[in-house]
Parts: sequence; C-alpha cells; structure tokens
Amino acid sequence: MRFTPTELTEQELELQQEVRDFLLEELPPGSHEPCLGMAARKDKAFSLKMAERGWVGMALPTEWGGSDRTAVDRFIVVEEMLRWGAPVGHHWVADRQTGNVILKFGTEEQRERFLPSICRGELGFSIGMSEPDSGSDLASVSTKAEATTGGWIINGTKIWTSGAHENDWFVCLLRTSPMEDGNKHAGLSQFLIDLTSPGLEISPIPFLDGSHHFNEVTFNEVFVPETNVVGDLGMGWHQNTTEMAYERGGPDRWLSPFSTIEQLLREARGTELESVIRDLFGELIARWWGIRNLSLSVARLIDTGEAPSVESSLVKEMGTRFEQEVIEKLVHLIDLEYSPDSESLFERLLSQCVVTFPGNTIRGGTIEILRSVASKGLKGLPA
Amino acid sequence: MTELSGVDPLVTDTADRLFSQVCDHESIQNAEANGQANEIWQAFADTGFPWISISEDSGGSGGTLLDALEVLRLVGYHAAPIPAAETGILGGWLLSNAGLELPSGIVTVLPNGSQEITVERAGDDLTINGRGLRVPWARVAETIAVPIELDDQTFVAAINASECQISPMTNMAGEPRDTVHFEDIKVFAAPLPSELTLEAFRFRGALSRVALMAGAIEKMSQLTVSYTNDRVQFGRPVAKFQAVQQHLVWGAQDAALARMAAESAGREANRGDALFEIAAAKLIANQAAARATKACHQAHGAMGMTQEYPLHHLSRRLWSWRKEYGGDAEWSSWLGRLVVAQEADGLYPLITGGSAALG
Repeated sequence: MRFTPTELTEQELELQQEVRDFLLEELPPGSHEPCLGMAARKDKAFSLKMAERGWVGMALPTEWGGSDRTAVDRFIVVEEMLRWGAPVGHHWVADRQTGNVILKFGTEEQRERFLPSICRGELGFSIGMSEPDSGSDLASVSTKAEATTGGWIINGTKIWTSGAHENDWFVCLLRTSPMEDGNKHAGLSQFLIDLTSPGLEISPIPFLDGSHHFNEVTFNEVFVPETNVVGDLGMGWHQNTTEMAYERGGPDRWLSPFSTIEQLLREARGTELESVIRDLFGELIARWWGIRNLSLSVARLIDTGEAPSVESSLVKEMGTRFEQEVIEKLVHLIDLEYSPDSESLFERLLSQCVVTFPGNTIRGGTIEILRSVASKGLKGLPA
Repeated sequence: MTELSGVDPLVTDTADRLFSQVCDHESIQNAEANGQANEIWQAFADTGFPWISISEDSGGSGGTLLDALEVLRLVGYHAAPIPAAETGILGGWLLSNAGLELPSGIVTVLPNGSQEITVERAGDDLTINGRGLRVPWARVAETIAVPIELDDQTFVAAINASECQISPMTNMAGEPRDTVHFEDIKVFAAPLPSELTLEAFRFRGALSRVALMAGAIEKMSQLTVSYTNDRVQFGRPVAKFQAVQQHLVWGAQDAALARMAAESAGREANRGDALFEIAAAKLIANQAAARATKACHQAHGAMGMTQEYPLHHLSRRLWSWRKEYGGDAEWSSWLGRLVVAQEADGLYPLITGGSAALG
C-alpha cells in the first residue's frame, strides 16, 4: 500500500476552471436544489450539455466518441459536479463503469452500438447484481440464462435496481451454468438487456422516505439475443470484479454531504457562527483536504496502469464513514429542529442526509465486505 | 505525471538502515530508563542527519526540508529516542536564520516560546529569567534556543545549557521533557528575518511532529497487521475475523491519511508558508493518532499492554506528540476561523487549492 502525493498540472487546473465556469453559468448558486452526491437527479438535458463538452465517457477512446482523457481528468470533472450538487444521475452509471466494461470486454459490434451514445450522454444504464437471496454474497446469484436458438431465455429476479424505471439498459450478472461445488465464481456471465424487453417487469421498491430509486426487476421468459452477451461466457465474476474497481475510492464516496455544509455557511452569512460550529468547519475541511489527496492519488495510480484495489477499498470505506460522521457531528452541535419541508434549503438538505446516509456505507459493497477485501491486501506489508 | 515525494531515495534508505541497526526494542527501553540514548544519537550525528536542510555555510549538512522531514518520519517509524527535530529543523533553523553558529552537540528549543520567562533588553544584550517547560532533552543539550518576541521583532537567544538549572521531567513515552530554570542569563539578542515570527515557529514545530507521527502510525499499523496474522485463536489467525479486520483497516487508513497529510504539507512548506496545510495536517495527525492507537491496541489484546512488546514505544509517543505544538482544539479553532472567513463560495477552492487559494 502506498499513496503517493500528487497535485494537478497546469492543464488539469485549466480543466478544473473550465468546469467551474460551466457550472457557474448553468447552475448558479441559488438557482437549483443541490443533489447529494451520486444519488443525483436524472436530468438528461444536463447530461447532454456535459457530453457536448466531452465530459461524459471522458476516459473512453476518441474512436468510440470519448475524449481519451485520463482518470485524473475524469476525477476533476466528477469532483466539481458532485461538490456543486449537479444533476448527474442520468449518465452516472454509464460514465463510471458500463462504458469501461463494454470497451474492455465487449465485442466490436457492442462498442459501436453503445459507446458513442454513452459518450453523447444519451443512454442511461442500470446494474443488475443483487437478488432477493444474494446480497453481499454476490456469487450466489441464481437468476438463470438458458441457451435457445439465437440467444438466451432469462428467468429470475433482480433487486435494489436503481433507476430501472427511467433507464434504457440493464447490465446483468446471470448464471449461465449451474453452481459447481467449490467454485461458485464459475458459470456467471454478463448480459446487456433492453429494459423494454417483453416479459421484463419493473416494480418500484419505495425508498424509506417514499421516493422512488429502487426497483425489483422480474424476468419471465425474457429473450436476449446472443449478441448481447458481454465478454466470455462464464467470465462474469471476473468482469464484474474489474467493474467494481472503477466504482471505488472516487469523489462520490466522500463528497455527498458537501453541499449541505456549504449551504449552512451560505445561510449563516452576516451572522456570527458559534465557536463550536466554526471549529467543526476547521476539522471537516482539514479531513476533506486529506481524503481528497488520497483519492486523487488513487486516480493518478490508475493512470500509471496500476489496479490499486486495496487503496481504493480503503478510501471508499473511510470516505463513506466520513460522510456519515460529518452529518452526525453537525446534528450534534446544531441547535435546530430541522425539517424536510423547511423554507431553509440547509434544513431540507440536512434532513435528507440524516434519512438517506445510512445507505452510503452499504451501496456498491458494504463496508464489512470492503474491510475483508482491504485487510487481505494489507497482509503483504513489511513489518 | 507529477510525482512529488521529492525526497532523495538515498536519505530514506540510509536512515532506515541506520535505525534498523542501532534502534531496537532494547535500546529504546534502555534510553527510557537512562534518560538519554547517547549511542543512538552518536550514530545518527556521525551521518550528518541532524543538520539536513541547514546550509553548509551555517555549519549544516545541506539538503532540502523534504529530506529533513523524511528523516523525521523514519525517526518516528523506529521510535528513535533522540532530539532530531530539535537539533535540526527547529533549533538549527532558528540559529542559522539568526546568523548564529551551530554547535557540534545537541540543540533544543523552548517549545512554547517565551511563555514563562521575562526578558530585559539593553541594546544587543538580553537578560533572561524564569523557566522553560517541557523542553525536549534539555539535560543532554549543548545549546537551548529560545525564540523571543520583543518590540515587534523576533530574536533568538542561544543559551548555553550548562548555565541553566535543569529539572528532569518526561513525556508519556518517557522521553526527556525537562524544566529549565533561567536565572539572570545574559545572552546576545540575535534578530531573525521579519517573516520568522513566533507563529512561524509554532507551525514549524507542528510540521516536525506531523512527520514523526506519520512514521509512528505507519509502523504501528504494520505491527498490527503482522501480529494479527500470526496470532491464532479459534483455530485461525485472528486477522480472519471480520471484527478484527475493522481494526486493521482503520489503522491502515489512518497511517495513509497521516502520511499523505505530512507529505502534502511538507511539499507546500518547502516552497511557501503552507499555513493551511500544516494546520490541517497537524489536526489530521492528532485525530489519526487517537483513532489508530485505539484500533491497534484493541487488535493486539493484552500483549499490546505489556512493556515487552514494542507497540507502546509508538502509541505512547503518539499520545505525547498529539499534544505538542498544538492539540486538536488549537488547530481546529485556527482552521475554523480561516475556513469560515472564506464564505460558502470559497470553501471548495480552499480544499483543492490550499494556501495557494488564500491569495
């Protein structure tokens, strides 16, 4: 494990400024209800505008419509979008992971079919991993794909599928051969599935505050053509693990409460903050500075061709706990009975953080699973 | 790609090898019992390490501040019981900046400046009375450097330690933190350049502790990983238990966080005043030390609570360093004022730009 300090180059600082100018123009403070991190609103028009700047599918090659930029460039854009509370929900999954998976494991035909429209900000993707009986023990998935003429017939149920009711496509981990004793990672494959396929049913699972993100997706004899298998049959587990590495340790794992903190300062303008709140600001900004430096160094490491899976798991585990700590410390000190319907944007955001942030240490792999991944990797250290 | 460790790898290798040879469990234990570690210091001084970053013209060893901080990181990593920071980037820095000659022996400093002393000035001469508290290794020092603010100017008084009465005291790690009594000490008032204020000295002291702490937390985390992978209970290494993995991961995170903070602050201090970075790094290191000592002790069980096992060399130093040159309250308050003054729109630019964003 080694996090090497790094800093942004002149060109990277120019990109940062460009994104800040864009946001100031498109979403001036006070003009929009900030989103809280990656669970952002879907706003296709906003995604299309970002794509025009070349900021969706940034790391994909130009021949497929991408910008062939580095992981650090993508870090800069994502960081600025999230700290601004921008509505990046429509292109989020495609930009962060699906594009990479199709580029890496997909066929030439799949790349041609999907990558340019991902980079234009058009396509929204859902991810199909968990099932009613498979959560953290992901290898136990049982939704089956059975070979038929020209394709596959799918039966089973996926659960906790964010955005399936609004997205276009579904990347699913399915069982293509029966579970073998002693090798539960074998026999899984990844599929690209049209969410409008006949026999595919999407039903909402209301979130605890009544909002609609999650769905249950049921497959009843759904036909998927052969050309929609991603990568090699039976290699789904390996592909899926690779995909997970793209979604760990980035700014989405430590920036979710930022808009709330910023809004507190905005609304407190002209009044004297209590010294304990001021001290808390000092502490939080210091921690953000430290965690950001770690997260940025992971992006830099990725650009040197490394796969820093231990480092990114450590950052994700720490970052998501920090997000909860920020809100807990604030709630502890603020003498306010905040309400989700308040006239104060700060109160509305804070209420939303309190209610939804328990999910931050669960989504995309619980912190317990991350600890197991990271602590295995720590073993190689000298002592 | 901008890689910014900026440290001469020879410095890392040589210092690491030196401490591996001369600074083992037994010698650290002996140093605590005897109140000094002459052999370790001699080996360290023979390499010229104490005076890195001080120009050769002033009698130093040359090299950059980054090299000096890397040596301090390794002092912390090996829990070396020596006044490396005091002789070099604190005391040596004060003396050389005031145009004073460096002695060949140990230099120490009054960590809290001139808090409990009275100073009378007559032209270029000072008369000092009072006492200095928690002065590292004063009992073995040749020179005690005292930064003094008088008439809007900062001076250094280089006091011959043999002229003072010294009462031995220790910190929680058993390292010397003596009380020094000054009685009508006459000394030359050597002026410092105007930017080297008492505040600048305080930040420099904090930076030295951050480097030491980063090294100690990293070693503590590594000890914990190795101990829990060797220790078998219920038929398997305790590191296989999810409840123990939590401690391993938290220790490793704090090691990474403190080292990143130390190196980022060092990089900035090597080219500017780095006020934001040093304050943030000290606060991060303080809190990381608190969390990591807790996690690492818990993972070690009773073994970590014994004198025979080396964890305490690190944890007790961390508990002491956490409070030296500013505890959590001092730095969160300093940072809080700075942060709040940026207002909402300046908040994120401060996180990404640090001191440079303050203009």
